[in-house]
Amino acid sequence: MANDMEQLYAQRLKRYVTAMRNEKPDMIPIRPFVAEFTAKYAGYTCQEVTHDFEKAFVAARKCAADFDWDAVVANMVYVWTGLTQAIGLKYYAAPGIDISPDVGFQYIEPPEDRAFMKPDEYDQLIEDPTGFLFNVWLPRVSTDVSAMGQPTSYRNNLSFLKGGMAMLSYFNGFGKQIELLRTQSGTVSAIAGILKAPFDIIADKLRGYLGLLTDLLERPAKVLAACEAMMPQLLHVALSGADPDKNVPIGFWMHRGCVPFVSMEHFNKFYWPTLKPIIEEIWSHGHQVLFYAEGNWNAHLKAFAELPEKSIVYHVDQADIFQVHKVLGHKFCISGGIPNFLLSYGTPQDVRDYCKKVIDGVARNGGYIMDAGAIMQNDTKVENVRAMTEFTREYGIY
Amino acid sequence: MAKQKKQKRKPGVCIPWEEKLKELPKISGDKELVRKVWEDIDALGYVYIWQCLLSF
Repeated sequence: MANDMEQLYAQRLKRYVTAMRNEKPDMIPIRPFVAEFTAKYAGYTCQEVTHDFEKAFVAARKCAADFDWDAVVANMVYVWTGLTQAIGLKYYAAPGIDISPDVGFQYIEPPEDRAFMKPDEYDQLIEDPTGFLFNVWLPRVSTDVSAMGQPTSYRNNLSFLKGGMAMLSYFNGFGKQIELLRTQSGTVSAIAGILKAPFDIIADKLRGYLGLLTDLLERPAKVLAACEAMMPQLLHVALSGADPDKNVPIGFWMHRGCVPFVSMEHFNKFYWPTLKPIIEEIWSHGHQVLFYAEGNWNAHLKAFAELPEKSIVYHVDQADIFQVHKVLGHKFCISGGIPNFLLSYGTPQDVRDYCKKVIDGVARNGGYIMDAGAIMQNDTKVENVRAMTEFTREYGIY
Repeated sequence: MAKQKKQKRKPGVCIPWEEKLKELPKISGDKELVRKVWEDIDALGYVYIWQCLLSF
């Protein structure tokens, strides 16, 4: 049985990697980014999988065992609120504590006047990003970490100790989880490593979206310099978590750097010039990057087409996947494009029909991976995920 | 990637080995061993803060 599972794993890995290299495997790979859906399927609440990562691991493995998927994220409920609570992070609403136990965790962006980074702090960030994060940002985002120059405390010391040990325990747990996915169900761990654009980090975690928009008008040179200062750090973090076998891509989460959140000029002057070199450098090390283009990034497809062939896998959320295929399909594998609202509120036949439309439109020559547009939470119907899986297996054979 | 402006701290580093070395007595044993272990553990501190920012 162990040999059978290893054979299945090898078959799925080959299928998944072949598609990601924009070639034609034996059939269309299925790689669903299932988050709180796994909780629903396994009989857990959102609180359980968010606050206890071992339950999240069990839920992911149960899905991998029961559905014929080629790859899955080892734990897509990525924010372990046990850890964030130990550190004292202020910016999450945790299910079962701040919000209903049956709702996924929420990121809370502070109001503009209480942004985690002040407008006059750009120089500190630019000169020493790591020092800034420890000395200024962390004390602001944690209820327990003391600000520089303030007396230290029991809670401060414990925030670092417990946070550090808990984070190590969590990351070490992924090693065992990935091995179990392989040995128990022959399932590939879909991604390895993490990347975000410098521009998105400033909006998401430092100045806030509104603060950044103001900065683009009032201090654009500082914004650009801050993005540039973060580039080598983000490259380092991405490479340090990447797949040593160079099979699966680094996950790149794309947020509000696109039109209409910002103007085309902002994208061209700030977002893209401080991201593109990172992607190219990552590719020069032999790693692909999964562009998880949440929302609709079709205004920028021509920019993405500048990247080296096969250097990315481009994931489609709400955008027109057929236009994506037209502009990028000759260079990059495409994934996703099955609307989440359909998977949550449609019928299995609706799902089958849509999957057929997408497969016929973009997958005939390979280079396509079946998935929903966005991560699947607990409003996703089990029968629809089953329909997407079974249809792709029937219709997606080359 | 084009050469970036010089920063106070390199990627992957919290407290540079060169800075720590100044605080230590003359190392009578294997200096490379001490350096490697210092840098390996220092990198964990780096991982902590950047993963707090990126993943949590």
